[in-house]
Parts: sequence; C-alpha cells; structure tokens
Amino acid sequence: MDFQTIVGPSSGTGSGVFPTLVFVQGNEQRIINLDHSPFGVGRKVDKDLVIADPRVSRDHALIVSENGVFSVVDQGSKHGTFVNGERVERKTLERNDRLEFGVREVAYVIFNPQHGTTNSAREFLSQISGMHISDETTDLEKLVLFLEAARKLNTIGVLDEILMTLLDVTLKLTRAERAYVYMKNARGELRLAAGRNSKGEPLLDDKTISHSILDDALKSNSEFVLTDTSRSADLTGRKSIVAYDLRTVICVPLRKPQVQATRDAEAPAGAISAEVMGALYVDSRFASRDISGVSNDILHAIATEAASLIENARLVQAEEAGRRYQQELSIAASIQQRLMAVTIPEVPFAKLAGRNLSCKEIGGDFFDAVNTSQGLTIVLADVSGKGVSAALLASTLQGMIYSQLTAGMPLTEIVTAVNRFFTDKNIGEKYATVIIARIRDDGDVEYVNCGHILPLVVSGGEVQRPAHGNLPVGLLPDAKYESDHYQLKPGDRLVLVTDGVTEAENARGDFFEDSRLELAAKSGTLEQIFTSISSFCGGTPLNDDCTVVELLYTGG
Amino acid sequence: MTLKIETRLVDGVTVVSCHGRIVFGEEAAALREDLKRILSSTRQIVLNLAGVSYIDSSGLGTLVGVYSSARASGADIKLTGLGQRLRDVLQITKLVTVFEVYDTEQQAIAAFQRGAA
Repeated sequence: MDFQTIVGPSSGTGSGVFPTLVFVQGNEQRIINLDHSPFGVGRKVDKDLVIADPRVSRDHALIVSENGVFSVVDQGSKHGTFVNGERVERKTLERNDRLEFGVREVAYVIFNPQHGTTNSAREFLSQISGMHISDETTDLEKLVLFLEAARKLNTIGVLDEILMTLLDVTLKLTRAERAYVYMKNARGELRLAAGRNSKGEPLLDDKTISHSILDDALKSNSEFVLTDTSRSADLTGRKSIVAYDLRTVICVPLRKPQVQATRDAEAPAGAISAEVMGALYVDSRFASRDISGVSNDILHAIATEAASLIENARLVQAEEAGRRYQQELSIAASIQQRLMAVTIPEVPFAKLAGRNLSCKEIGGDFFDAVNTSQGLTIVLADVSGKGVSAALLASTLQGMIYSQLTAGMPLTEIVTAVNRFFTDKNIGEKYATVIIARIRDDGDVEYVNCGHILPLVVSGGEVQRPAHGNLPVGLLPDAKYESDHYQLKPGDRLVLVTDGVTEAENARGDFFEDSRLELAAKSGTLEQIFTSISSFCGGTPLNDDCTVVELLYTGG
Repeated sequence: MTLKIETRLVDGVTVVSCHGRIVFGEEAAALREDLKRILSSTRQIVLNLAGVSYIDSSGLGTLVGVYSSARASGADIKLTGLGQRLRDVLQITKLVTVFEVYDTEQQAIAAFQRGAA
C-alpha cells in the first residue's frame, strides 16, 4: 500500500520552505503561506490575516520568525491570544498548534499542520481515487485509510466530503450517470444526503429517482438490488446482463458494520440483520451509460466498504461533537467555579472560611454567605447526582436562597419555598441537602438542616453535633421544615461539611467517616481538615465534591 | 455494574434483594427500572437491602422517587435489611419517617399479610 507517498510532502501547496497556516472559520478553511515576518493578525483590513469579528482586536497579534523559529506574540489584545486553549503573551509555535485570537471556536488557525494538508479533504481524496490502481476495490480501501488520516487532521465537514467522494468513486467504478446517498434521519425517514452526476455536479432530490426501488432495497436482505426496468421480474442472470438500451438502477442498502459477528445460534447463517443506515442509489437513463453490466465484485465492494466509510465518517463527526461538548462542559465548570467563589462578608463577631475540593466531574455542592441586619447567614448545599444537571440545579438553588436571604425571609420559609419549587418542577429524582445557619452577634445560631450532614460545633476541645433535622428539599412536596437554635460561646467553631467529606474513600474502600471528621475538626482548622482528608485518601481520587465551611465565633 | 438485583415471591409478596452499591449512574437506573417493571404486576414489594454496601445521594433519591410513585399508584414498598450506615442516612435525612422499615424480611412480609387480612 503506497499510502505514504500520498501524504508525503510532494502533494499540493505549502510543502515548500514556508510553513503554512490553515485558517478555519465556520465551514470554510483557507491556507496561508507564512512567507514573511512579522505576520499581522487582527481586525484591521491591512493585516496579513484579517478576522472580522468584534472580539478580535484591531492589532491583535503577530507571528514572528527568529532563526527559523516561529512565535506568536499578543499585541495587548482585549480578548487574548490562545495557543491550544491556553492564553499566552508570547509562545513558540509547534506543528499543529491551534491558535485562537479573541474569538474562540468559530475561527481558529492551525500552525503548519502535518503532511502538507493544505488540501481540503476532497482534494486529498481525489488524489487517492485518481491514482491508477488495477483493482477497483483498493480505491475504496484507500478511502478507509484516508479516514484514519482525516480523523487525525480533525477535518471539518468530513461526512459531507466522504459522501461526495463516495459518489464520485462509485460513479467512476460503475460508469453510471447519477449517484445519490440517502441517509435515515433520527425518525427513520430516508433523506437525500448527497447527489452527484458523472460530470461531478451536485444533484438535488429528483422525481425521477425511484423511491419504490429504494424502499424495496432497504427491506430486502440482499447486499444490493439491481433493477433493470425492462425485465424487473427476472433478475436471476445479473452477472451476465447484456446491455439494454434501458434504464438501470442499482440500489445498495448501507448497513451499519457489525463489530462482532452475531453469536446467536438461532440466526440463520449469513443473515444480514445489521441496522440499515441508508442507501446508495445509482442509475443510468441512457444507453451510452449502461450500468447493467457492472460486476458483482464491484457492487460487493461498494456495499461493504461504503457503509463502513460512512460509519467511520460519522464517528469522526461524533468525536468532534464530543470535543465541543467537552469544551461546553468546561465552560459550565468555570461558571460553577465562579458561583462557588464566595466573597466572605467581614463581620466583627466572627471569622468565616470556606473551601471546596472538586472531584473530576462538575458537582452539585455550593456554599454562600450573606450578611444582613439579622446576622451572618451561611448556606451549604449538596445537590444529588453529578455533572451538568446537578450544577444547574445547584446554581438555581443558590440564586433562590440568596435572593430570599437578602429579602430577610425566615429560614424555614426559604427552605419551604425551595422545596415547593423543586417538587413543583418535578425534576425527577434530584434533590438537595441544605443547611442554613444564621449567626447573630450574641452567638445565637438559628439553623435549619434539611437532610444535611450534622453540623459540628467545636467548643473547649469537645465536638458536639446539633442534631435537629428535616427532610431534604425536593423529595416530598408536603414536607414541613423547622429550625432550631444553638448558643455559641466566644472561641467556638461551627463546622459544616458536605457528604463528599465523610464519604471520601481510601484505596481500601474505607470512608473518612464522621469519627475522623470529628477528630480532624477538633484538632485543626479548615486547612488541616483538608490535609487530613487527603492523607486519608492517599491518592485515591475523590468521588464527590468536598466542601467545608468553618465559622469561628469571636464574640461581640 | 456493581449492583445485582434478585426477585422472588414469598407468600404472595415480591421480595427484591439488592447486592452491591446503589450509586449514581447505571446502578440507580437499574434499580429504578427493575422496581418500575415489578410494580406493573404487583402492589406489594419488600425491598431487602441487606446486601447493599453503599447508597449515595442519587441512590437515595431513586429509592424515594420509586417509593413515592409506588405510593401514588396504590402500591407499597417496605424496606428491610438496612445496614447501620443506611439507617444513619435515613435518620439524618429524616426519611426514616417516610419509609416503612422492618428489622427482618419476615416481619416486612407479615406486615403486608396483616394489612391484607
């Protein structure tokens, strides 16, 4: 397989002395030779690379060359210059580095990508299919290989390119006049995905396409259906069909390639049970382009390779979508982090500290502190579950509680309202444990505990656990909530934690437990509690967020 | 998956025994789906959690969710085989006041029969 020679430096432009930039904006990409230095990037029209987006500064950045080493230098841009997602002032560029100028995602630049892929996927594909290979099937095999390369290149719009090329190759192999690919949509309806004629022109859906043949082909168990409209009743002699001056249709159902052969003993041998993704439809209307003599081997090759090609292309797209999703997740995580960043109010009678240790997924913990005329109120909540849904609920909960606290609502009314909100909205099995404690300057603590881990009060070297509690919020619509009071003495510490702390696990599967928490709280401050958790876990990653809030009552 | 769910019929009551962990993800989902399926054919379930080593907050939410919808449709789930840890959790969350909890499976089954008699 001479694949190396295809991707080698001989292909296309940009493989010479100068490195290239591939500028990608939306669905379009452009290759720019980096043939002078400095190379300006910005919104101004006189730049070497103009990106017309308000988030891009007029003089955004320069790409400079020093002794053959290229670097990007930010020119004090407002929204920053990013290399591989990291904001930089100045950075030496490596092959395949991804540069973003102010505007993220919608427009970016790849620095000097590998294998001179200055070509679009289609150009690249046409090079492969343009190679003279004696055996027709190797064309298709090469396409599969191309996909491996395309995946690495992260080419945009791969599926469309693949479909177009698939059609071109099929037309070339069958010498047919027109070719179409139909794909099933989410509702299982067949929709035209791409169409081409033998001149390489794109085709739209057409009334002359036989949908009944398409449907028959999808329902049939055959690898392909060849219909000669003159003698559609008798197709037994497919191999030797002689040229007729009549229209011929070839329809190839595209079945999802099965990774593993079915082991079901009851399935008849050779049964094709794989899910149909769509169909390839090829026809000719004119005698000059008769396709009825197309060999079985070619149709077999198309039937087996086309489906795996499309499936691979879909995987590439899914990968891209997954990558975007990951980026959105990280945005959600950073919003969550900002919500978690509490400005601790200064009060003369107490000192407050809070810290959160996030596990790898976004969690549903949050804490907040609000100082009103009624006292300093601290809130700690843990929404059940993990991920974006938990984080969303946590943010909603935080907003609700915050606004009601600042409005001076009684604590029990706040949690009753939150419970009503959660249960009214019917958010499935999601709920939250919440503890809200309001500390007055005379040391009186009013707290309402909704299913949360009991608070700890460290007083004179002893740990107490004020035990009054209620149901969590969001589980039962008619839950009643009550608060209780506790009297702090100067020097007492009130410690609130989420269950990520008591349920932190070590390698043996033991939990941190209340006993270790009490010991840690007794002997130390917030930082020491965390030290004690991490030395207990000994490198075992956290399953859940750990949040600890500590209030030292210093007295009036 | 770290949860195994077994079902058997004892004196007309469906006993569902869980082994493993009831946690966020496929375990909680499996328990929900299994119980929903069982509830479509019976109104009396004893959920034996003796083999459950750990329930996290999502697992607990699932338990309450299934329990509530069972009650709403006129069915009943009684709990038994609660370890100390789960008892503590139900205590802290006051859910002990919501669930009907029995020390042994026999007692839970007997409670259904008393109710039916």
